[in-house]
Amino acid sequence: MPCPASPPGDPQHVARPFREGLLSLDPPHLIGARCGACGVTTFPARDVCPSCRAEDAPAPTALSTEGRVHSFTVVRQAPAGTPVPYVLAWIDLPADDVRLMAQVVGPAPEDVVLGLPVTLELVPFGTGDDGVELLGHRFRATQEAPA
Amino acid sequence: MTLAPAHVAGVGMVRFGKYPADVTLEHLAVGAARRALGDAGAPRTAVDGLYVGHVFGGPVAGQRIAARLGIDGLPVSNHENYCASGATALREAWVALAAGLHDVVLVVGVEKMTDRVAGGVRPDPGDLDAAVGYVMAAGHAMSARRYMADHGATREQVAAVAVKNHAHSVHNPYAQYQRPITLEQVLGARPIAEPLGLLDCSPISDGAAAVLLAGPAGLRRLGIDDPVPRVLGVGLVSGSVQSGTGDLNAEEVSRRAGAEAWKLSGVGPEDLDLVEMHDCFTIAEIVRLEGLGLLPHGGGAALTAEGHTTLGGRLPVNPSGGLLSRGHPVGATGAAQVCELTWQLRGVAGGRQVDGARTGLAYCKGGTVNGTDGGSVTTVVMAR
Repeated sequence: MPCPASPPGDPQHVARPFREGLLSLDPPHLIGARCGACGVTTFPARDVCPSCRAEDAPAPTALSTEGRVHSFTVVRQAPAGTPVPYVLAWIDLPADDVRLMAQVVGPAPEDVVLGLPVTLELVPFGTGDDGVELLGHRFRATQEAPA
Repeated sequence: MTLAPAHVAGVGMVRFGKYPADVTLEHLAVGAARRALGDAGAPRTAVDGLYVGHVFGGPVAGQRIAARLGIDGLPVSNHENYCASGATALREAWVALAAGLHDVVLVVGVEKMTDRVAGGVRPDPGDLDAAVGYVMAAGHAMSARRYMADHGATREQVAAVAVKNHAHSVHNPYAQYQRPITLEQVLGARPIAEPLGLLDCSPISDGAAAVLLAGPAGLRRLGIDDPVPRVLGVGLVSGSVQSGTGDLNAEEVSRRAGAEAWKLSGVGPEDLDLVEMHDCFTIAEIVRLEGLGLLPHGGGAALTAEGHTTLGGRLPVNPSGGLLSRGHPVGATGAAQVCELTWQLRGVAGGRQVDGARTGLAYCKGGTVNGTDGGSVTTVVMAR
């Protein structure tokens, strides 16, 4: 079911992405853009293809939810208001040939390794000015499929 | 396209470090500016315009400085390109001289950080990377981890950048830190963003640096007859949006910034006697030198550990001590690099002098933008 934005003043709200056009909630996936001219996909979606600069804007496309850790760090110090530690990573989505930055959860920080398979999940990203819960994205170490 | 060079009539700095809150940005900037004017033997009235680089100085910081310095009323402009702000101000000043708009211009890079920045710096909150938890140290940490995995480089080789630059800083009276450190200290330091620790990171600092530039008529106005070091050209590029899942450390933005520098100055990478490199983090010095083509791709860490970039080595890098030791008041760094190149090209750098230095490069990389390989990159080429 698509997730509509709340009408103004409606106290009965549903959660929405923390930035418009960044992700969809049901089912959860990131929204990229695929260039119709050269086939390159970007995240986030862009108005101009960075590869071929075609006149026609790339079309929004749902990205694969399966990735792997290309590199990562355990952040131990951050400006005030940001709890540490946390794992920040470059995630590659092989199906889309897209790389993006996101936090990784699941294993203890010292157990994260290069190449770790990860799966997209939604995570609370604060509250909007209108009181609506905002959702963002992170990745979790991929669970083994149940037998 | 080659513009006329800008002559460096005078330079001056205040020592970088942590100053009390009552030592203001204006105070730091005026201190550096007076030293540059004094170095050139120039009266305030000789100055045609002021170009100021800063990030956290607030609105019209340059005009506040001009009023305190006694050059109020002149054209003053403020230049923000994050850590490349000072060098960007210098570029605009060089262009104004070459265009014939001015004959003598003052460039000031300045920052007062310690009373307003803590725990590290991050992109603007509007940037997507900041929203997912990016801090500058994290980006370089991920660069380092991937570099080591891709090229078989060791943690010790990356740490060697800090050991080298701190060894150089012992001879720099303007450096925030002027003491040598050991490899063991770097490896054992408190982790900031693994694998990088505290001593892999440049400090949050206060400071200012100033450069008085002149065209030929300006030199006559100042009564300077003898040759002085020249800024041959200042390259400026910005990061480009990346696609695909290629080499995280390709540093294409550095390659392009180098190409701009060589084109504008007529100098090639093989002509350089020294480099002042933006070592905001240890790994950054390595990958940026590689991007410029000054070290082989993937080989820079090993060469650093072997002494290739140490004073006395094949290509000395950061004889000043670099950002890691001199400190990194972000808007001031680009101007401080030009002060160092000037002293080196004059042959007055004392214990950190690069023998026979004739040509040098100063590189700054400022800021990050989601999805690109950088914010801004500047490349200043100077010769004596």
